[in-house]
Amino acid sequence: MASVKLTDVKKIYDNNVIAVHDFNLEIADKEFVVFVGPSGCGKSTTLRMIAGLEDISDGTVEIDGVVVNDLQPKDRDIAMVFQNYALYPHMTVYDNIAFSLRLKKMPEDEVYEKVTNAAEILGITEYLTRKPRALSGGQRQRVAIGRAMVRNSKVFLMDEPLSNLDAKLRNQMRAEIILLRQKLNTTFVYVTHDQTEAMTLGDRIVIMRDGIIEQVGTPTEVFEKPSNLFVAEFIGAPKMNLINTKLEQVDDKYYVTPFGARIKVGGEKGKELKAAGIAPQDVVLGVRPEHIVLAEAGSESAIPCTLEVNEMMGSELHLHVYTEDGTRLIVRVPTINLTIDQRNELVYGKKLYITFEGKVMHFFGKETGTNLIYG
Amino acid sequence: MSEKKLLEQNASPIQKRHMGLKATRALSNTAIYALLVAISVIWLIPFACILLQSFRVESTWQVGYVIPQQWGFDNYVNLFKTDFPRWYTNTFTAALVTAVLQTIIVLCMSYTLSRFRFKLRKPLMRFMLILGMFPGMLTMIILYRVLKDLGLTQANAVPGLILVYIASSGMGYYVSKGFFDTIPKSLDEAARVDGATRFQVLKKIILPLSKPIVIYTILTAFMGPWGDYVFAQYISFGTSSGMNVAVGLYRWLNKDQIAASYTMFCAGGVLVAIPVTVLFMCLQKYYVEGVTGGAVKG
Amino acid sequence: MKKYSDLEYLKLSKGQKLLYKITSFFCAIPQKIAGLFVALWNLILKGYNIVKNEAVDIWTTFVQGDWKTKVSFLVMGFGNIARGQILRGLLFLLFEVVFIGYMILAGGYWLSMLPSLGKVGPTEEYDFVLDAYYTVYNDNSFKILLYGVLTIFFIIGFVYTWRVNVRQNKLAEKILKSGKKLKSGKDDLRSMVDDKFHATLLSLPLTGILIFTVMPIVFMILVAFTNYDGAHDGYYSNLFTWVGWDNFNTMLNWNVAKGGGSVQSYAATFGEVLSWTLMWAFFATFTNYFLGMFVAMAINKKGIKLKKLWRTVLVLTIAIPQFISLLYVSKMFAKNGIVNGFLMSMGWISEALPFWEDPTWARITVILINIWIGIPHLMLITTGILMNIPADLYESARIDGANPWQQYTKITLPYMLFVTGPYLLTSFTGNMNNFNVIYLLTGGAPTNPAASSAAGTVGYTDLLITWLFKITQGAESQYYLASVVGILVFVVVALISLVVYNVLPSIKNEEDFQ
Repeated sequence: MASVKLTDVKKIYDNNVIAVHDFNLEIADKEFVVFVGPSGCGKSTTLRMIAGLEDISDGTVEIDGVVVNDLQPKDRDIAMVFQNYALYPHMTVYDNIAFSLRLKKMPEDEVYEKVTNAAEILGITEYLTRKPRALSGGQRQRVAIGRAMVRNSKVFLMDEPLSNLDAKLRNQMRAEIILLRQKLNTTFVYVTHDQTEAMTLGDRIVIMRDGIIEQVGTPTEVFEKPSNLFVAEFIGAPKMNLINTKLEQVDDKYYVTPFGARIKVGGEKGKELKAAGIAPQDVVLGVRPEHIVLAEAGSESAIPCTLEVNEMMGSELHLHVYTEDGTRLIVRVPTINLTIDQRNELVYGKKLYITFEGKVMHFFGKETGTNLIYG
Repeated sequence: MSEKKLLEQNASPIQKRHMGLKATRALSNTAIYALLVAISVIWLIPFACILLQSFRVESTWQVGYVIPQQWGFDNYVNLFKTDFPRWYTNTFTAALVTAVLQTIIVLCMSYTLSRFRFKLRKPLMRFMLILGMFPGMLTMIILYRVLKDLGLTQANAVPGLILVYIASSGMGYYVSKGFFDTIPKSLDEAARVDGATRFQVLKKIILPLSKPIVIYTILTAFMGPWGDYVFAQYISFGTSSGMNVAVGLYRWLNKDQIAASYTMFCAGGVLVAIPVTVLFMCLQKYYVEGVTGGAVKG
Repeated sequence: MKKYSDLEYLKLSKGQKLLYKITSFFCAIPQKIAGLFVALWNLILKGYNIVKNEAVDIWTTFVQGDWKTKVSFLVMGFGNIARGQILRGLLFLLFEVVFIGYMILAGGYWLSMLPSLGKVGPTEEYDFVLDAYYTVYNDNSFKILLYGVLTIFFIIGFVYTWRVNVRQNKLAEKILKSGKKLKSGKDDLRSMVDDKFHATLLSLPLTGILIFTVMPIVFMILVAFTNYDGAHDGYYSNLFTWVGWDNFNTMLNWNVAKGGGSVQSYAATFGEVLSWTLMWAFFATFTNYFLGMFVAMAINKKGIKLKKLWRTVLVLTIAIPQFISLLYVSKMFAKNGIVNGFLMSMGWISEALPFWEDPTWARITVILINIWIGIPHLMLITTGILMNIPADLYESARIDGANPWQQYTKITLPYMLFVTGPYLLTSFTGNMNNFNVIYLLTGGAPTNPAASSAAGTVGYTDLLITWLFKITQGAESQYYLASVVGILVFVVVALISLVVYNVLPSIKNEEDFQ
């Protein structure tokens, strides 16, 4: 249990490729922080620098107030779960979990107690005498977690622990990690490329791209107040729709004019725009698919478009539509709001009208790509 | 009309082709069996001949037939009246010591080059690649003279020979490095996070997982000296008591000795081949793994 | 020449494609050579920069360092000891003392003798008591050259260690200034099994390579510039001395006669042996490769039973030491050997076939016997790789309508060549230096009278490597010529490797088949 502090951490490889630029982050004691980003964004490298598996080119990493740059992994008091589990294939599950304890020269009866205890929590007691080869993916994952658990270390590092599991198992293990976290009550640093995992697990999310932190915030913050286009697109599924349009100001009111329609930016959003003193300008307007609704023809705010693909997801439909200028948008429509007849009509080529309200809009600078209000 | 005939009559063209396929396959399989039998015969004949001739009693020189007219162990008995036992001990000692030491050196080298990333790693590997392009025999000229000054040649050839065998064995790291490269690095990392030093990683994780390659390395390290001719010839330099079996037996095929020693050569050859063949057959699995892996890795 | 874009290239016919590839290869040669020079120049620049930076760093360390650092420039390890790193300091100091002691007691002498390789050879002295002449041995050229080289190695090592010593002082100052602690001797020892474990592991193998490979090679390269041979062994007979490029001139100049009753120059002999060596390496490599692959495929074929037995029969032959099988087989093919005996008893031939007596027969026979030796190895290697080819490649090829031959040429062969490319290269160079097969089978015979001389025989099946061996064994033991041949072997092997590495697909597009 400890805080982790990274100050100006840099990673430069031998071929002068910079993997991580001045990384600054303070992780509080018992916090669950998730690093998320597309592959090659430097999230794993950062985690491995905390673990001591990767040299730190510049800056300092502190664990519990102690600079650990020059310490070997074994001296940093950390536990880590690897993407491919990294179970020792020649050892039984019991020996795998006991490995670190035995290295510490812990008496065997204590080892026994700790290992069986961890196995109980993870529900792998019956597999203790097996070799990893004889286990399924999910079971291996549990062993890997068990191996990290018994160490009672200051920081718990997880490098894409769920990405080798199939979708169903992944959901299940995700829930178990949340439970585990409550039981262990320690500091977690978790790396993933999956935004769903990041949103559901993290107290705070660190979104990275090309070695740079794009935004740090709680799941709600990054979802509702994405600081730039990259974060806006990365968080949320399906992706946020981005529309090139104009922000206009008439008297005190703001309007946007996507695809010839004219929609008022009302309520809170309008006030926020005004408070931030945003001038009328070309903007990139972001609207999440779930915030777009089907509309009637003739209204000033209705945008005409044509249906291309209709994906039935069960509780909702994902409608892929294109507007008159060819821009492609995605609309999420809850199935429950539609009658069977209405649903049957939604086929290729169907003309539709869509609209959205002002309160769900995100505004990004056309040149900068940063959020006009929160960026 | 039988059912089968009826079927054939009504067979569609596709079905007919199918039957043709079966026939061709049977034909080509027969051809392959014939070939494999021929290969087996060709490959085994020399060894069968050597074995048969080692039991020949009626004459000691080369003859144009294979099956002895008179069988007996005379040649084997005669072997023990020569320096052969001495050569055999020499070879065995050299091969055994070399197998142990060379394995240690090769494993150190290949593990390091596979697992550690240090500044001089690439230059070192390139340097060894270039060194390997020099004919190794060239170095014998100087090594012989240096070893001679140290008193490690001729009658005392064995320690000198061991030194020569193991000295540069670090350069033969390719195969085992290729094997180590296939063990996921995350195992090392997991162990290091778990509190192991690099040495403990090697001892507790890598070595237990490397049984095949350790055995392969021991096997090849043993077989090298067991069949070596050049270095042994150089270092024993004509002194019989310092020779190994290869050098000793080679001399028996000289123009002036062959008439008296040809069948004895066969008997000696059999005795030399037996232990290493038995060893090899037991460990064949590991040898195959090593050879295949090594070639793929280059 | 016209350059095609990727899409335009696809439109060309097969012949045009080939032509385009060949012409673009040759057109690229000047560029490549230019690139080589640029790379060389960059290397020189880099070297210059490194030296410059080092010099500047040493100077600033001296100027900015405290008195402990300054003393360390003269007394190595002083800074370490003064700052509490006793173990390191003592090791540095010990090394310096040993070095200075060695240079005064011996090293200086060897270095001073190196330019001449000895001044006084063995002399005849008169013993008044016994009233007889006896020989006094004086300078020893061999030792002078050997220890001279060692001394130079030692000096380089000392300069490097001194540099490390200076750098450590600078580092120590920096660490102390930032308020951190220096590593103690105990820490140093611990790091030997942990973060410096690689240095520990490499120390023994690299020492062996340095002493038993690097040093001898340097020595032998130098020997190529001396007249070291049986008559000038540097101690017992005569001293040897530097002769410059004379030996290379002897070996490579067509107009320099070989002497000793030989009718042709060394250059002509070298050319003949080299061309046979290359021919041999080519045939030995590729016959084994394709036949081995063929046997492996035959055993692998679906429906063939007793796969394990066939393989074991072949593998068995690997186990038997080569000197036994080669020597025995060589006798089998002798004039009065079993093969001729069998053929004659069957009445198929009336007189013995000249397997080892006729140059062409001998060359073909060694290649055939080499196939016998090599196929089991290749069978093993290719079996593993063949089984790794994804079966769905063949399935999709069959659905696309490929017959077995097309499957072989379009899938199996490209895959095999890709995977085994590096292996083929090493096997080619290995065959060039395949001493055992040639020496134990034929010993180089039959003799090539035009190339041989009193100093040594050269045969039609001699490779460069067996020729080298014979030169050192001959009556005159012309070590200097052996060195020249060795260096030339290196040059040939290096050139081939360089060229092949540059065109090998497995090096260029590593991911193609993965």
